[in-house]
Amino acid sequence: MSKKHEPGMAYDMSKLNKLFAFLSVGLLITTFWVFLDDYIRPWKAVQLEAMQIRKQKLQDEVKKASEAIDEEKLAQLKAQLAEGQEKAKVRQDEISKLQVQVRDLEREIKEETITNGRLNSQVGATTFKYEVANTEGKPEAPALLRKLHAFKEAFSLSRDKMKTLESELKTKNAAITALKKEEIEAAKAIEEITRTRDLLQMALDKTAITPVFAIRNSPFVDFMDPTLKIQQIVLNDITDDRYFVKVPKVDRCITCHTFIDQPGYEDQPNPHRTHPDLDLMVATDSKHPMKQFGCTTCHGGEGHRVLDFNSAAHIPQNDEQKADWIEKYNWHEPHKIAQPMLKLQYTESSCVKCHQGVEHLPNAEKLTAGWEKMEEFGCYACHKIEGWEHKRTPGPSLEKITAKIDKEFFKNWVWSPKDFNAHAKMPTFFMQSNNSKEEFVKKNVAEVNAMADYIWNKAEEYKPFARYKGGDKNNGKELIKEVGCMGCHGVEGWDEESKKVGAYSGPHLTGTGSKIKSADWLVSWLIKPDHYQEDTIMPSMRLTEKEANDIAAYLLSLKNKKFEALRFEPMDGEVRDEILVEYFSAFDTLEVAKSKVEKMSEEERNLELGYRSIGKYGCYSCHNVEGFEGRGGIGPELTNEGSKPLTQFGFNQQHHVVEHSRDGWIKAHLIKPSRWDEGLDKAFNVLTRMPNYYMTEKEAESITLALLGQVSEYVPLKGKKLLTAHEKIAADGMKVVNKYSCVGCHQVDGWGGKIVSMYDDVNEAPPQLNAQGFRTQTDWLYHFLDNVQPIRPWLKVRMPSFNLSSEERNKIVEGFQAKASQPVFVDNSQKVQWDAGERASAVKLFEALACASCHTTGFNKDPASAPDLHKAVPRLRPDWIAAWLRDPQKYMPGTVMPAFWEGGESLEQDILGGDAEKQIKALTKYIIELGQNEQVRSPLRKQ
Amino acid sequence: MKQFINTIADPIFSFPIFALLFFAMIKWYRVVGTKKFAWITLAIAIPVVAWFLADPNFLMIILWPDNIPISILIVLVSFLTWYPLYKAAENDKRLEAGEVPIEALPENREKVWAWPNLVYTELFTIIAGTIFLVVWAIIFKAPLEEPANPTWAPNPAKAPWYFLGLQEMLVYFDPWMAGVVLPGLIVVGLIAIPYLDTNPKGNGYYCFQDRKFAITSFLFGWMVLWVYLIIVGTFLRGPNWTFYGPFEYWDFHKVVAEYNVNLSEFLWLKWLNTSMPKNLLVRESLGIVLTLAYLVVLPWLSLKTKFGKEMFEKIGAIRYYIVIFLVISMGSLPIKMVLRWLFSLKYIVALPELELNL
Repeated sequence: MSKKHEPGMAYDMSKLNKLFAFLSVGLLITTFWVFLDDYIRPWKAVQLEAMQIRKQKLQDEVKKASEAIDEEKLAQLKAQLAEGQEKAKVRQDEISKLQVQVRDLEREIKEETITNGRLNSQVGATTFKYEVANTEGKPEAPALLRKLHAFKEAFSLSRDKMKTLESELKTKNAAITALKKEEIEAAKAIEEITRTRDLLQMALDKTAITPVFAIRNSPFVDFMDPTLKIQQIVLNDITDDRYFVKVPKVDRCITCHTFIDQPGYEDQPNPHRTHPDLDLMVATDSKHPMKQFGCTTCHGGEGHRVLDFNSAAHIPQNDEQKADWIEKYNWHEPHKIAQPMLKLQYTESSCVKCHQGVEHLPNAEKLTAGWEKMEEFGCYACHKIEGWEHKRTPGPSLEKITAKIDKEFFKNWVWSPKDFNAHAKMPTFFMQSNNSKEEFVKKNVAEVNAMADYIWNKAEEYKPFARYKGGDKNNGKELIKEVGCMGCHGVEGWDEESKKVGAYSGPHLTGTGSKIKSADWLVSWLIKPDHYQEDTIMPSMRLTEKEANDIAAYLLSLKNKKFEALRFEPMDGEVRDEILVEYFSAFDTLEVAKSKVEKMSEEERNLELGYRSIGKYGCYSCHNVEGFEGRGGIGPELTNEGSKPLTQFGFNQQHHVVEHSRDGWIKAHLIKPSRWDEGLDKAFNVLTRMPNYYMTEKEAESITLALLGQVSEYVPLKGKKLLTAHEKIAADGMKVVNKYSCVGCHQVDGWGGKIVSMYDDVNEAPPQLNAQGFRTQTDWLYHFLDNVQPIRPWLKVRMPSFNLSSEERNKIVEGFQAKASQPVFVDNSQKVQWDAGERASAVKLFEALACASCHTTGFNKDPASAPDLHKAVPRLRPDWIAAWLRDPQKYMPGTVMPAFWEGGESLEQDILGGDAEKQIKALTKYIIELGQNEQVRSPLRKQ
Repeated sequence: MKQFINTIADPIFSFPIFALLFFAMIKWYRVVGTKKFAWITLAIAIPVVAWFLADPNFLMIILWPDNIPISILIVLVSFLTWYPLYKAAENDKRLEAGEVPIEALPENREKVWAWPNLVYTELFTIIAGTIFLVVWAIIFKAPLEEPANPTWAPNPAKAPWYFLGLQEMLVYFDPWMAGVVLPGLIVVGLIAIPYLDTNPKGNGYYCFQDRKFAITSFLFGWMVLWVYLIIVGTFLRGPNWTFYGPFEYWDFHKVVAEYNVNLSEFLWLKWLNTSMPKNLLVRESLGIVLTLAYLVVLPWLSLKTKFGKEMFEKIGAIRYYIVIFLVISMGSLPIKMVLRWLFSLKYIVALPELELNL
C-alpha cells in the first residue's frame, strides 16, 4: 500500500469497478456456457442427421411419385378442369343465388339446433319433476303433466322443422354440385392421380426447418415442446436390477437409432440403419416387438443413458471396429458396468434368458450351434449347468473296458488322444503348457499308469457273444455308408462325407484296428451294442452276421501304426509314492503320511493313486467308472457364468494378452485352458485341470456365445417365454430325440438331419420328420420305435433299432404329437363309408394318376419306389394323407411324389366334376380302405 | 529412477522423509521464506512435474476426476505455507533489529471503510469462486458411479478426499481409535486452541520466533499428519488399499507381505517364551503399563525440561496438561506408524474381547 488513495480507501474505486465489470461479464459468459453445455447433446446432432436422411428419402419418393403420374392425362384433366370452371362461370348467377340460400339455411339450422336443444333439456327436467310429484301424490302433478306435454309437442315440432331445413339444404347443395359438376369431377380425378405425391409432399414439408421448428428447439424454450427430444421405451414386464430395487427397463436407444423399426433404411450407416431382422425382432408384428422387449434386453448395455456414445456401453465387435470407434466417438471401455453391450456376434446369447428347456431354438442358429458344440465337447459333464441335467454321459462306460482294448493302448490314448485320432472328442490333459515340466511329466505318467491299474482292477468280465469270421472289407466300407452309421460317426475312408455331415454323437472311427483288442468284441458290439453296455445310445442296425463281419473287417483294417508303436513309460514307484504322500499330507503331517504309504502294498498304492487321479481329473464325469457313482463334476457351475462379475475372472498373468472382458476370458479359456498357469509358480496339485480340447477359434466363440447367455438376471414371468403344457411335452420329447441323435439323420421340422448333405438325392436320405405327429398314429409310432419295420423299400439307409425304454418311447411319441399340435390319436378303424359312386371315382382316379406305378407293392411286380399303400392305415392319419396329397412338397421338400392338385386345380377334370377336394377325399378313403382290407387279412390281426 | 521413486514413495520411507523435510523447513524457515527460494523451487518443480506427468500410470491417477481437488490442494497448501513463512521471516528480521513489524508501520495501521474495501472485494471473490466452480463442473463431469451394488463393491473403496487422511489412519489403528477417538480429539483440540493459546504475541502480524511452539505443532499436525496422509490415500493407495508407487500400474492382484503381531504376543511368546495368560489384563499388562506411562509419565517428564517449566508458568497447570495431552495424542500416530514399520506391531493393547485396541 505504498500508493496514496482517498482517505479511508485501500483501493482505487474506478479500478474496483472495472474489476467488477470484468467479473460480471465472466459470470454472464459462464452462465451462457452452462446453458450451451446443457443444450448441446450428441443425440440432437444424430436426430438432425436422421431428419436429413428422412428428407432425402422423401424427396426421392416424391420424385418417384411425380414420375409415376401420367403427365398427359394430368394435362388433359387440367384442361377439363379449366373447361369445367368456364362452364361454372357461365352459371355463376344461379350458383351465387343458391349459395346465398344455402347460407341462410345454415343459419336457420344453427338457430333451430339451439331451440331444439333447449326444449330437449326442458322435457327431461319436467319429466323428472312430474314423475316425482306424481309418485308422491303432490297437487301440482297435473299442471306439470300439462307443461310436459306442451314441451314435448314443441320439441317434436322443432325436430320436424330441422328435418325440413336439412332436406332443403341438401337439395340446394346438390343443385350447386350439379351446376359445377364438370369442375368437381375433373378436380377429383386430378386428386386421385396426384394423391400419393401430395401425401408424400406433406410429409416432406414436415421435415423442413422452419422458424417454428427453430423456436421449439431453441435453448431456454425447448423444455416446452421440442421436436428433438429423447425417445424412450418403458417396459413394465422386464426389469433392470438396481440391486436394492427392480425398476422397469427404460431403453432410450431409439433416440439415436431413429429408423430401427422402419423398413427402407437398410442401406443407411449406423445409427440410422433399419434392424436387420424385422421379421423376428423390433417390428410391431414380429415375435419380439420393440415396445414389448426393448433393446438392451437382448443387446445388453445401459439403455437408459444417452449422454454420449460411450455412456450406453457400446462394445465393438472386433479390433477394426474398435479403432474406428475410437477415432469417431472417442470410444473407451465402459467402467463398472455389470452387463455392457454384447458384441454383435454374441447377441444371440440373450435368447437363453427367456428361452429355456428346449433342445433347439429355431432362428437362433448361432446359439443352437453353440449348444451343439457344448454337447459335442460335453461341457455339462464336469460343469453343472441348470437345464442340462438330462443330457447323457458323453463318454463310453469303462466298466468292461478290458474286453475292448488293451492297457497299453489305454495309457497312450489317455496321454494324448489326438495322437491317435485327430477328431477325438476326448480332450488332452497332459503335455500342456502348465504341466510339461519334467517333474510334472513324471508325475503325470505315474498318474496315468495308476488310473489304468485302477480301471483294469475294477473292470467286469465281458465275453462277446459273436465270433469274427473274417469278411469282405470293401463291402464293409460300403455298408458303413449305406446303412447310416455316418449319421453319428465320422469314418476314415469316407473323409469327405464325414466332413460334410459333421456328425459328433459317436466317435470318429479311425485306426480302429489298432484300438480294438478283440475282433469278436467288435462283431458283438456291431450286432447288439447294449449287450456290452446297457445304457449305450448306439443302436442296433439289425446287421446280419455277414454284414457285421464285413464292417468289422473294414474297421479292423484301419490301422494307426505310429500309435501302435508307442510304448508307455512304466510306473515309477518313487514318484507315485511322492504324489501319495502329497495327498495324505493334506490332513496329516509328512511323517504320518509317509508311514501310511509305507504300510500299503505296491498294488494298494497303485490303486489308491489311480482312484485319486480319476477323481482329480474328473474322468468319471464322462465315463462310468466303478467307485465314483453320484460324484459331482470337478468344474465350477456355469449356470450363471454370463453374470459373473469380471473381477471374479482370474486373468492371472494374461491380462496383457487376453481381452479384459467376460467373452474374452471364456474364449481364451476354451482355446487354451492351461494359459492361466503361465508365468505362475504353481504346485503340482493345484495346476489348472481343465483339459485342452484344441478348439478352433470358431468353436470357442460358439460356446462362448452359449455360455454368455447363462445369466442370473431376473426376468419377470410376464416378460419370459413360458412353455405351454403342449410346448413342454414337445420340448421333453425332443430331449429324447436329441439324446439318441435322431436328428443326426432325420431333419425334424428344420432341425438337424446333417447326413442329408451326404446324398445327392434327398429321397435316398433318411426321411424328413416334418409335422411327424400329424403324420403318424400314436400307437403305430410307439410300436414302430420298439420294432422297426422298413417302410420305404428303396432306401438303403436303415432306421436303427434303438435301445429305448418305454418311457422314452412315450416321450418321443407325445413330443412329436405336441409339436404338431395333435393332442390325440385318430380312430381310423371305422369301415369306410362311401358316397354314391364315390368309390368308383376313387378307383378311376387311382388308375388315372398311376399311383401304382410307384406304390407298386401289392399292385404289380415292379420294384417299389414309394411306401406300401396297404400299410397306410395303422401308420397314417387320414387328415395327413389328404394334406399330403394336396401338397407333398410342404411336408417333404424335394420328394418325388407329384403334386396332383397344384393350386387346387385337378388334373383329371372329368372325375368327380374335377373338384380337387372331392377327389382328395375319395382317394384318402380309398387308401384307408386298402389298409383296412390288409389288416383284416393280416394274421397278426386275427390273433 | 522411476523404480527408485516408487520405492521411496512408500510411507515407510516417505513419511520420515516428509517429516524431516518439514522440520528442516521449520528450522531454516528464513531460507525457505525468501522469494529466491520460492522461484528456485518452482523452477525445479515444473520440469519434475512434467516428467511425472509423462508417465501414463501417473497421469491416469492424477486425471481421475476425484483426485483433481488434491492436486489443487497441493499447490494451494504449498503456496499458503510458504507465504506466511516469507512474511514471518521478514518481520522476524525487523523485530530482531528492533523495528516494528511491517503490519505495524503507520501507513499500514490506517483504517479504511468496510464498504467498499471489504464487502465489495468479498463479492468479487464470490463471483470468481462461482465462475471457477461452474467451469470446473462443466469441464470435468461429476465422477458419478453406477448404482451401488452390494455384491460388487468398488475396489479401492475410497472415502471423500478430505477424509482420506482418516482412512489412511485406519491402516495403523483400530477403527474405534482412527474413526472415533482421534477425529474427536482433532475437533476438540482445534476448538480448544484459542482457549489454550494465551500468547499475546503474533497478533495482527506474521512472525515465527514469537510463536515457535504453536506454529510448529500445528503445522506438523496439519502438513505431516493430515495433508500428507491425504496425498498418500489419494495417489498411492490402490486396490485393496495396497501401496502403489506413483508410476506403478494398479494391478488388482498385487500382494504385499504383511503379518502383524500384537505387543502382548511379542511379550509372552517371543520374549518370555511362555503361553499367553488367560486373564486379559495380565495378558495386556505391558501394553497397558506403557500406554499409561505414555499418558502420565510424559507430561510429568516434560515439566522437568526448561521449555516445559516456562510454558507451565505462562499458561497454568490445567492449560498445560491439556496441551501436553493433545500433543502426545497427536504424537501417537507417528509413533504407531513407526512401530508398525519396524516391528510389524499390530496393537499395543489388544483387547478385541472388549473391542478396545490401541
